[in-house]
Amino acid sequence: MSKPYYAEDIPGKKIIMLGNEAIARGILEAGVVIGAGYPGTPSSEILPALAEMKKYFPHLKLEWSINEKVGFEVAYGGSMSNVRSVAVMKHVGLNVASDAFMTACYAGARGGMVVISTDDPNCYSSQNEQDNRYFGLHALVPVFEPATPQEAKEMIKYAFDFSEEYHSLVLFRTTTRLNHGRGDVILGEVKEINRDYSFDWDRSRWVCLPSHSRVLRVRLLERLDEISEFADQFPFNSLKLSKEKINGVRYGFVAAGIPYSQLLDALNFFGITNKVSILKLGLVYPPPKKLIKKLFDSTDEIIVVEELEPFIENILKQLAFEEGISNELKIHGKDLFPQNGEFSAEIYLENIASLVGLPYEKVPVPENMMIIPPRLPILCPGCGHRATFYAIKQVEKKMKTKFVNSSDIGCYTLAVYKPLEGIDTEVCMGGSIGLANGIAKIQPEKNPVLAILGDSTFFHSGIPALINAVYNKNNILVVILDNRSTSMTGFQDNPGTGITLTKEQGIRVIIEDLVKGCGVSPDMIWVEDSYNLNKTIEKLEIAVKAEGVRVFISRHLCSLVEANQLRVQDIKPPIVKVDQDKCVGCLICVNKFGCSALNFDDSEKKVIIDQATCRGCKVCIEVCPQNAIYEDIES
Amino acid sequence: MEIKRYNLLNVGVGGQGVIRAAQILSYAALSEGYKVRTAETHGMSQRGGSVASYLRFGIEVEGPLVPRGKTDAVLAFEASEAVRIFNYAGPKTVFLINENIIIPPMIHQMGMDYPDIKQISEFLKNVSQNIYFINANEIANNLGNPRTMNVVMLGVLLGSQTIPLKKETLAQAILNYLPIKVHNVNKKAFEVGIEKGKSLRRDFNE
Repeated sequence: MSKPYYAEDIPGKKIIMLGNEAIARGILEAGVVIGAGYPGTPSSEILPALAEMKKYFPHLKLEWSINEKVGFEVAYGGSMSNVRSVAVMKHVGLNVASDAFMTACYAGARGGMVVISTDDPNCYSSQNEQDNRYFGLHALVPVFEPATPQEAKEMIKYAFDFSEEYHSLVLFRTTTRLNHGRGDVILGEVKEINRDYSFDWDRSRWVCLPSHSRVLRVRLLERLDEISEFADQFPFNSLKLSKEKINGVRYGFVAAGIPYSQLLDALNFFGITNKVSILKLGLVYPPPKKLIKKLFDSTDEIIVVEELEPFIENILKQLAFEEGISNELKIHGKDLFPQNGEFSAEIYLENIASLVGLPYEKVPVPENMMIIPPRLPILCPGCGHRATFYAIKQVEKKMKTKFVNSSDIGCYTLAVYKPLEGIDTEVCMGGSIGLANGIAKIQPEKNPVLAILGDSTFFHSGIPALINAVYNKNNILVVILDNRSTSMTGFQDNPGTGITLTKEQGIRVIIEDLVKGCGVSPDMIWVEDSYNLNKTIEKLEIAVKAEGVRVFISRHLCSLVEANQLRVQDIKPPIVKVDQDKCVGCLICVNKFGCSALNFDDSEKKVIIDQATCRGCKVCIEVCPQNAIYEDIES
Repeated sequence: MEIKRYNLLNVGVGGQGVIRAAQILSYAALSEGYKVRTAETHGMSQRGGSVASYLRFGIEVEGPLVPRGKTDAVLAFEASEAVRIFNYAGPKTVFLINENIIIPPMIHQMGMDYPDIKQISEFLKNVSQNIYFINANEIANNLGNPRTMNVVMLGVLLGSQTIPLKKETLAQAILNYLPIKVHNVNKKAFEVGIEKGKSLRRDFNE
């Protein structure tokens, strides 16, 4: 494989980079040694980009950790040992890591320590749109937020210097459009750090028991005061003052991150960029009080432009109150801009135009609006999960009952849609088993309770909940969809494959052994290839009817990973066809199973298989009640 | 020529090469010295869902998102996806649309109707005066590699002078992001696309 462009050692060279690649480059340039985390959109490309650089920068020590909490702890162990360390996760990952994070912030950083939290306004790939700037406020640590890929690279590099200077952890917050947007980035030098790397036996600092923590908390508050003092000189904060008025009013804008870039576009659109004051924040917490006061003194109305919660708005309103000017100074924020979702580019234009009194015509909606049914994400052709959910449905039908299918985060969450409608809950990583524990305590026996989750999710946080079920005798069937891949986030490896982030051979963890180790009785464990539909149905029925804590492992390699492996080895997958004489057009395969390779020919009233889409899994052969689908061995 | 702001919206279905096109176009725009921003769909939406990527370049570009009505061109790898984002376009927006409809599987299961090319074309004609269909799938199939569809469309984008970039830089960018073994077929796809684009250009309503 050729050297990735973001690993080039040519300072000054300008290249186009994805925001996440720019962040990885900044981490490299900062001389970071340890990087750990767990995949989650939109953060998932950061650690793999670093992993690709390891070949050229062998000092890097990188891993996919089992979950975000462990990832954080791995990085923090690095900080304790005096190396620069980074923990990478999506916003909800910080919830998992927060137990470690909240107390680590007390003891602070030794080697520079940065936690990357990638927030996801609009829930593009997430279960919520929580605003993790509050984690900075909550843990009393600074929050950095970059506005462009170039700034992201420079800012994260600076974050490690900052962390060491103030002995503080830094929360580095981004949003999806920064992570998954490209921009021009100028390469910098890769820093070489020569220092003594070793653990520091300072028990008064690293042992956070009450007598130590009381002292550490005082130090934490002092640190925050020092950072607060410095905030006005923070190099990525800037204040541009204008004395001009628009329609008799001096306006001031405050923004950070992607909204700052979009705000500039909107102001440029109206040609008023130089007629308003703008406070740009790179440090969103703690606030630069002197800069804010200067803005107060130079404006009549302030507009805070921020997605999600009124975080900066509330800080400004508090400061205005303390200054005794909250009655005369108007501070706008959530009265103009929505508190949910991502801001589209026209939201800026519309709100600025109406507030400031500028002409702006909304785009007219054409007559005869065409409504197109949504194109929702679906399980891929050949996906083993589809087969397993279909099997579960068949058992349910056979037993003439309804299961409670508690499920989880992963590709298989897509089984919620038609035609499978195979899951009933999804809250958080590993939550399927935890919820099933509770549901099983209440649910009448005629409705079996299933917990359905993927391999990586089981490793991440399903294990404690399984032990809980065993210990408390909560009567559940856990179905582990083992496709040997963390597919939804980009096919990352996990303990089930034994391959590490840097593509080295680690130790493979066997799920069956793990389940036994959790206390599940060996005769309560079933394993079957997801592609063997009839066998799965047969075994699953036994598993559903059995008593106690049961585990069914449905295993087949992710069809996308398998298709790629076959392509590399130049192996052609089986060719599956529909015998047009036998097909009666019952549509069971299309309407109940729903693989996207199965198409209905409306004119002939028959099903045909799209050969370009079909992966040759052969499951539909077992689905068809007419035996009309067959493997074409001759061609 | 100094470009102040050029806004392109590229749409399609997960797996059609929308992200690859964003990589190629942003690389080409950067090599011509422009400031570049993109916003792309990664992750969940790639599982056969709708995919959109915004590309902006010029000397006055800050954020990655394009305001409604301000798109210079829509490059659609699948026809119905062009309808989904119609409100980003204005009367002058050039629509270059692959004349191909991928019906979402769920449509059968829900017993719903899906529009055909004629309906799509009629609707979009209310939105802009420059709606053009290209049978890029057929062109790519004739070249012997269906996956060159996105490069055919990039050729059309360039040949019709819809994007203010040079042929050499775009050609170089295409090769830069594709494996060597498919270079030749993609070079051909690009050329065929350019010729197709040139013939379309004659029909443009300025």
